[in-house]
Amino acid sequence: MTQRRSLNLKLVLSVLAAFLLSMAFTWFLHSRLSERDAYKLIDSTFESVEDEITDCVDERLVRQCMAVRERLDEGYPTDLRSLQDLAREMGVTEISIADAKGDIIHASVQDYLAAPGKPAFNFRTAGGKAEDMMCLVDGFATEYCQPYRSNTANGAWRKFVGVWMPTTGGFVEIGCDGASLRALSRASLVDLFRNWRVGGTGGIVVTTMSGLVLSDYEEPNREGAQWEEPDDSFYWKRKEIEGFPTYVMIPRDSAAVQRDVLVGATAVLNGAALVFVALLVGFVISAFVRNQIKLQTAKELKMATDIQLAAIPNVFPPFPDETSFDIWASMDTAKEVGGDFYDFYFTGSDRVLFLVADVSGKGVPAAMFMMRAKALIKSVAQTGKQIGQVFEEANDALCEGNSSNTFVTVWAGELNIRTGHVSYVNAGHNPPIVRLGGKVEYLRSRPSLVLGAMAGARYRVNELQLEPGDAIYLYTDGIVEQHNAAGELYGDDRLLKTVSGCTKRRDGLLSTVIADVRRHAAGAEQADDCTQLVLRYRGEPETFSGEYRPTMEDLAKASADLAKALEGVPDDCANIMMVASDEIFANIVRYSGATDWTLTVERTHHPDGVRLVITDNGKPFDPLSYRDPDTTLCADDREVGGLGILIVKKTMSPVTYRRNNDRNILTMGKEYGDQN
Amino acid sequence: MEIKTNTDGSTLTISVSGRVDTVTAPELEAGLKFGDAKQVVLDLADVPYMSSAGLRLLLTAHKTMMAKGGELKIANIQPTVKEVLDITGFSDILNLV
Repeated sequence: MTQRRSLNLKLVLSVLAAFLLSMAFTWFLHSRLSERDAYKLIDSTFESVEDEITDCVDERLVRQCMAVRERLDEGYPTDLRSLQDLAREMGVTEISIADAKGDIIHASVQDYLAAPGKPAFNFRTAGGKAEDMMCLVDGFATEYCQPYRSNTANGAWRKFVGVWMPTTGGFVEIGCDGASLRALSRASLVDLFRNWRVGGTGGIVVTTMSGLVLSDYEEPNREGAQWEEPDDSFYWKRKEIEGFPTYVMIPRDSAAVQRDVLVGATAVLNGAALVFVALLVGFVISAFVRNQIKLQTAKELKMATDIQLAAIPNVFPPFPDETSFDIWASMDTAKEVGGDFYDFYFTGSDRVLFLVADVSGKGVPAAMFMMRAKALIKSVAQTGKQIGQVFEEANDALCEGNSSNTFVTVWAGELNIRTGHVSYVNAGHNPPIVRLGGKVEYLRSRPSLVLGAMAGARYRVNELQLEPGDAIYLYTDGIVEQHNAAGELYGDDRLLKTVSGCTKRRDGLLSTVIADVRRHAAGAEQADDCTQLVLRYRGEPETFSGEYRPTMEDLAKASADLAKALEGVPDDCANIMMVASDEIFANIVRYSGATDWTLTVERTHHPDGVRLVITDNGKPFDPLSYRDPDTTLCADDREVGGLGILIVKKTMSPVTYRRNNDRNILTMGKEYGDQN
Repeated sequence: MEIKTNTDGSTLTISVSGRVDTVTAPELEAGLKFGDAKQVVLDLADVPYMSSAGLRLLLTAHKTMMAKGGELKIANIQPTVKEVLDITGFSDILNLV
């Protein structure tokens, strides 16, 4: 048990370790995945943010450029200085006005204008990216923005925006350096991304070059505050867009939420699976253990039944040398161990006690009480006391310390084998059936108290006279109370009919009754032990006895004596007995080394039969243990040895052997004709 | 025990009368002389029973006849003799007619 427990502990620990390891791996994997996903999200967010900022800045500058055009349309002077003033006023770095050919005709920058020996700056021919602006002249657009970049002409960083001038067919262009660009457009960027959310709780922050916050996503809003770069609690990237340092950032916690949810869900699912498997394994193990316990219990009950069965006489015929009566008994136990028993034994040289009993209750307690009751009755009975006194003493002993109030019903008779007289006591048991002079009926007597119920109880002794051919049949209530599916009991009447209709010898009556009870039950479970006993009285036999020496002459004499003793026995029975005895005689005379041997012939009636008792003082030899020869071989392989014993075993019944007082004692019998 | 023999052509008939057991078997053994006969019929109509002492003789006679290419037939067996032959398996070996 301890070993199993430590095994279980190890099992649980290793399963737990595997579970934790797999969870750690899942957590690590999803951490890496969530980081990668966060940066992917940041990158893709930047694309939108860039577009948004650019659009916003462009729109602002186009508006500014249109404002410049409006001023010019209103007749604002276009000389260098005036345009420089206008540029300053409008907050842009430079202003240029091109004609329909793309030549700059007015500008706030001297270099762009035509001078002696130098043509004016022409957008189409200037090369680089200036030519883009010609889309305004060519009619593809009415406004156009270049990105903020290094200028082709002088390398300075500028963002140029142009709008078409319907009045001239040319266009006006403003150029902004970083500072003016930021100054113009910063107002448009304020709070631009305030409501944007990235990855749940992340967001976008736009700052100025000097680090002031323009657009923030967090509350309270940090607009105008000095920006500090995010710490490690964020996944983030910085990018300058149109000169505005922009941050896209996602709190690690937020990114980890998905991971945590995943890992959590995996843990829960795995845990549930684990618990399920554990429960399943537990269930299987406990079912196994339960089954083992059940098997063990069944085994113990089987042992109880076996002990019980071993305690009652089970060799039949029990008294092979007795010809004045024969006794057969059987116990068909129900599924659950019960407390039935039968018993018989000599209580004197010519008195035999026989009984059937039924202990109340079932199971091991009933079986134990049964063992006690059986032993008590036998120990008192074998002192030779009168049967009523046997019951009184056994009852007093059984009542002692019988706290469970278990009791036993017993019907016991004591037969005088010389006279056929039976004294009997019925301690609360079912009445037996008797066959008296061919008439079969219940032997009803006023029952006495059951054994074990009350100390000091008296037991009435009744008398019955059996004549040769009479019989008495005892049983327990398991027989008469066996019910069928309809709940109908087998009952006294059926039993009486079956018993009176059966003329079978030996234990044939017992098997006939059981078969009929089973037929009645028709598949219903056997409810109780079915115990039966039949005693048939035959009376004193006619006997012949002879003593012989081991010679062929005496063998012939013994055969002649037997033939004479068998007069009146039907030929088939007499002839086969002659054959069987010849085999035994020949063995004794030829092989036993005996110096004398005897033959006793007993002729019994009711039923008619013959029994031979052959004894010799030769070496021990049990013919029943002799191996049968192979009777299927062909003529060439056949041997004659052993055939005699085979013939005896096959033709005589019963055949018994015992060794007593240095003599081999062999009995063999044969019955013929009907029992009655 | 009485043993009568009768030859009819090439067939020798031996008729036995009386029980065959340990006591009488030597008599029967002495009477089972077949000479040159190829066909022998052993008539057991008057044998009420036969013990294994007789079986040994039947088996020997059967083998003897087989060895010289002849045949032993056993006729008119009584119920007890049949029972013994059946139990011992001799019914399958001997030619019972």
